Amino acid sequence: MSAVRRPDADLKLAGQATYGTDLDAPGMLWAALVLAPGPRGRLRSVDLSAARALPGVVAVGASDVPALAGRGERDAERPLFADAQVVYPNQPLAAVAAPTLERARAAVRAVRVDLAAEPAVTDLEAIFPEWPGSGAASSPHVAAHVHARRGDVDAAFGSADRVVRETYRTASVHQVALEPHACLAEADGTTWRVRTSTQSPFGVREDLSSLLGVPESSIVVDGTWVGGGFGGKGASFLEPYALLLARASGRPVKLALTYREEFLLGRTTLPSVIRLDTAVAGGRIAARRVRLLLDVGTSLPGRDFATGYSIGFLLGPYQTPAFEVEGYAVRTNKPAFGPHRAPFAPQCAFALESHLEEVAHQVGADPGQFRADHLWVEGGTTAMGQPVAGFGIPAALAQARATAARWRAEAPAGHGVGIGLGFWSTGAGAGGETRVVLSERGLTILEGEREIGSGSVVVGLAAVAAERTGLPRERVHVEYGDTARAPFDSGVYGSRTVAALGGAVDEACRSLLATLAQRLGATVPVRLEVDAEQLVAVAGSSHRPVSELLTPEELRAGGLSADGKHYGRSGAIDESIVLDGTFYAFTDFSGAVHVAEVAVDVETGGVTVVRYAAFQDVGRTVDRASAHAQVEGAVVMGLGTALTEEAIWRDDGRLANPGLLDYRIPTLTEVPPIEVTFVEGYPGAGPSGAKGIGEPPIIPVPATIAAAVRAASGAHVTDLPLTGERVARALKRG
Amino acid sequence: MSASSVRLTVNGAPSPLAEVPHDERLLDSLRWRLGLKGTKEGCRTGNCGACTVLVDGASTLSCLTLTHEVEGAAVTTVEGVADDPVGARVRAAFADAGALQCGYCTPGFLVALTGLLREEGRAAPVEELLEELASNLCRCTGYSAIARAVKDARERLP
Repeated sequence: MSAVRRPDADLKLAGQATYGTDLDAPGMLWAALVLAPGPRGRLRSVDLSAARALPGVVAVGASDVPALAGRGERDAERPLFADAQVVYPNQPLAAVAAPTLERARAAVRAVRVDLAAEPAVTDLEAIFPEWPGSGAASSPHVAAHVHARRGDVDAAFGSADRVVRETYRTASVHQVALEPHACLAEADGTTWRVRTSTQSPFGVREDLSSLLGVPESSIVVDGTWVGGGFGGKGASFLEPYALLLARASGRPVKLALTYREEFLLGRTTLPSVIRLDTAVAGGRIAARRVRLLLDVGTSLPGRDFATGYSIGFLLGPYQTPAFEVEGYAVRTNKPAFGPHRAPFAPQCAFALESHLEEVAHQVGADPGQFRADHLWVEGGTTAMGQPVAGFGIPAALAQARATAARWRAEAPAGHGVGIGLGFWSTGAGAGGETRVVLSERGLTILEGEREIGSGSVVVGLAAVAAERTGLPRERVHVEYGDTARAPFDSGVYGSRTVAALGGAVDEACRSLLATLAQRLGATVPVRLEVDAEQLVAVAGSSHRPVSELLTPEELRAGGLSADGKHYGRSGAIDESIVLDGTFYAFTDFSGAVHVAEVAVDVETGGVTVVRYAAFQDVGRTVDRASAHAQVEGAVVMGLGTALTEEAIWRDDGRLANPGLLDYRIPTLTEVPPIEVTFVEGYPGAGPSGAKGIGEPPIIPVPATIAAAVRAASGAHVTDLPLTGERVARALKRG
Repeated sequence: MSASSVRLTVNGAPSPLAEVPHDERLLDSLRWRLGLKGTKEGCRTGNCGACTVLVDGASTLSCLTLTHEVEGAAVTTVEGVADDPVGARVRAAFADAGALQCGYCTPGFLVALTGLLREEGRAAPVEELLEELASNLCRCTGYSAIARAVKDARERLP
């Protein structure tokens, strides 16, 4: 499949890539966290004396932080350790380090905690059994409230031919990166240095600065290879604890989570309740009311991004003349909501697409045609008033419908074929910078970002540079640097690496070529070529070896360098429709349409996915093999969200299934054949119109499976995941 | 916990270990005593397969194996896979199929497939190989590329 071998393949296949879990240093101590014994309550005391009495043990609790941390202001809203109050299960109370992990664990057991337990609040619907009334926005349970309205919604519902009202519920899903979080900290003089498995070294540096009260200039973050991120390794997590212990002990400190702790402490997607009401007149959508309750765990008030971003996905890329959307980010006694590959978008797409299927059924329309009839049009505007540009979904839908029609004709009795659509915007984020260096041997891209597995850094950025300069890929290398050395970038998340950071690489390469053109005295564009193993700059008929174009100083310094910046494309929504809260504009218009054929066992409700097809709006394919691999991986991850994955938080605040045996992710033999088709020609914000590819292909999966299950069996399941139990229950309901 | 020495042969080299506690796991002996960190630590509960090694040729979860249990055995880790003619073919097949992304599950898959193919050769039906490998988890690739690599590796056997 892959035309070019991944540059990191040999290292990883030899077992020589160093991940966070592999870190060690001479004289290193092993650390462990002391976790709260209950989900909520008043903390009377945390007694570390017995732990400290063990040989070689260092312990740090809330009261030790001021003396150990920096002199700057620390973020009081994000205490590292619970102080007076425990607000989520297993909240860290203290951290210990010892010469061996066994002794660190013994020290954890020796800590005496006195917690006056209070009942936990874990269920959204226990907090708001009815839709919250006015005034709820000021409730301590509400972290954020968003509300927008366009048009006369009441009138549209009043005069509708038909109104369809439904409620959907979605489950908590975990990233399940195979590598647990891990880091190694050293605190030396005034420097705080940490090596860590992260999607965002600069993001961690920023977090550490506000958590520890230390200026960013005193913090150095160095990334390792990342054993899967999926959003779970974005913000800082273990680093401040390891750094405090390193400061307290004067030794390097290694802190890694156990896999059980990954589940208990992971910041991930939490449950939601989604109410969708649609008014139809003359066979067209006249209006929609969207009401969203999203569990955000212990997310801080006012800092919630999920609700204001996600709620737009409940209108979807469909023309909706009048609408009212209202959402509450609801705080519960759980770890804070965190990003998980296209945060909360697969859940929104599941609810909206399933609802559209229901609306189409009720009005007697073909669900595929119904969608096609309502999609935004290029040059039109979104529901939120943003101009639509580079919108490949209509083309993807047309292709998906053709495949679905063929599969329906071929499908045996008991099988069903469904379509699902997912909209996304890629390339967002806080921007970034890069530096490229041209030597006589090739081009080096200097990055603080580490490759997280998707290939976006080692393959994607190198491909962008190769395209721009003309160099073959094997002459372009990515070199990693820590945050003291590499140019700033906000991180590998939001499908932004190629789309946003790729823009910076492209700009740096253009600047480099412009310098070479000057030195060549060329008036036509310069390209780089390899001629008899020598790097040559070519412009029209003139060409010179690169070695002759570089100054002696540049040759000594390693080459000619050039910088590039990319601070993203930003859109704006129509603010006149906003009644409360913050809504976010899209940076580009990405998405995918999927088709699934499934078989349903009507006795058990068990679902078997027989075959699958994905039509991905990618703008322009930068590296076909990597893009293909992203779609395959995202589809299978999405099958987990669709069918089996559910972190079950019980009423007492405990997680019922904190392990891979009871939290089931897809395995090798459950994967259907997956056909991948790229829809090109609808440009995005990235180099030459590229769009991000990491997240969009997971979005339509639960919706697609639900539509196929309904087609196969008649079961209209409104809760995720579609476990056998839920499908069987829906079948019984009829 | 008492401790005593263990004799192992790891990737062909005699690797005597001194004062190994009786509850020490093979995974930890390999990673922290011998520095063979290619064997990955994932769940430590036998569910993910990232820590798979060969013990006298048999696929074994090193996280659920006590080092003392394998006294005298020959252990092969990912670092030793390429020295084996079958292992080298498996590795090439994974590289050519692009059957890795983050790479964290990769050592476990390489070792497990090498063990299976060394034992069964081309006689093993692909479906059976895939069934055997289903206890190794991967979160990145969606397994499709891994399945292609498995078929290809089998084809490459002499």
